[in-house]
Amino acid sequence: MTNLTFGGGTITMAALHTELVSLRQWLGQEQYATVYALARITPGTNMLAFCAGTAWELLGWPGAIASVAAASVPSGIMVMLLTGSYDVVRSNANAMAAVAGTLAAAVGIMATASWQLLQPYLDRQRSIHVVVMAGGALLLTLTLDLAPIAVLGLAAAAGAIWRVPE
Amino acid sequence: MNLLLLYLLLAKATLTSFSGVTSIPVIRHDLVEQRHVLTDRQLNAAVAAGQTAPGPNGLFVVSVGYFVGGVAGGFAGLLAVITPAFLIIPLLQYLGRKADKPAVRSAIRAVTFAAAGLMMSAIVPLARDSLTGIVPILIAIASFLFLVLTKRATVWVIAGAALVGLAARLS
Repeated sequence: MTNLTFGGGTITMAALHTELVSLRQWLGQEQYATVYALARITPGTNMLAFCAGTAWELLGWPGAIASVAAASVPSGIMVMLLTGSYDVVRSNANAMAAVAGTLAAAVGIMATASWQLLQPYLDRQRSIHVVVMAGGALLLTLTLDLAPIAVLGLAAAAGAIWRVPE
Repeated sequence: MNLLLLYLLLAKATLTSFSGVTSIPVIRHDLVEQRHVLTDRQLNAAVAAGQTAPGPNGLFVVSVGYFVGGVAGGFAGLLAVITPAFLIIPLLQYLGRKADKPAVRSAIRAVTFAAAGLMMSAIVPLARDSLTGIVPILIAIASFLFLVLTKRATVWVIAGAALVGLAARLS
């Protein structure tokens, strides 16, 4: 999956939500969200931290190493090949049209992951928390350009004080 | 340039950044301005190559390594990209020890909601760049509906979208 998704790590992490949580049920919603949140505040490439964290939860250190290698080595080799022939690929209109199609799909994939993260909590007791926390994170990021680490820290502090029912 | 030094310089950049391309200023300072082993044009091409290839945008560091040290430099860059990923594990270990406390459980839920909000905020610039006509908009809507309603693997959406994008250009 990581080697097939264009447009960056956030899109890949969203795509992996469907695979890991909805389809295979290897991770629970909160487990996924915890790894996702920690990956956003880990230095470096968030998606690789996400792969390391997810695989560590499931299989320990060997899984983490194998997962990061699987997520990075094929793509890294593709980047090297592309670097060597960059001008040729960029000028191929058919290849760029296919990439544009996958980037459009990435919008739908990310919207799906957001929906699937929130949907289980949209009940009478917790909807208000969902709206305030998710809406607040969205607004803080878009209007104040706040860094993810600050948004997630604020959410954690708010959640510790204003309890989300079990 | 010595491969170990190249790795250390690139790792310094990846360890001090928090998303794909935010390590650019450090890399530019070290490799373009200080050591003159990379040009601005090569750095721009590396960023573009990283964004054109599948996978995380942070892999542009591989391209930087390739420009500086060939294939061996590319692998030094790859190692520099991989290194910080494992820092998540001590964070998970720490959180795992605290996870049975009600306040921590509530905080984790709150972070779940905020994570969804962050993901929504990441949709905005991507949509602005990629949904530039009726075909991409239809692809995005169809992808969302397909995944929500069918629970099929995402790879089918990616492959289908690539084919539709190509067909739209050829028609």
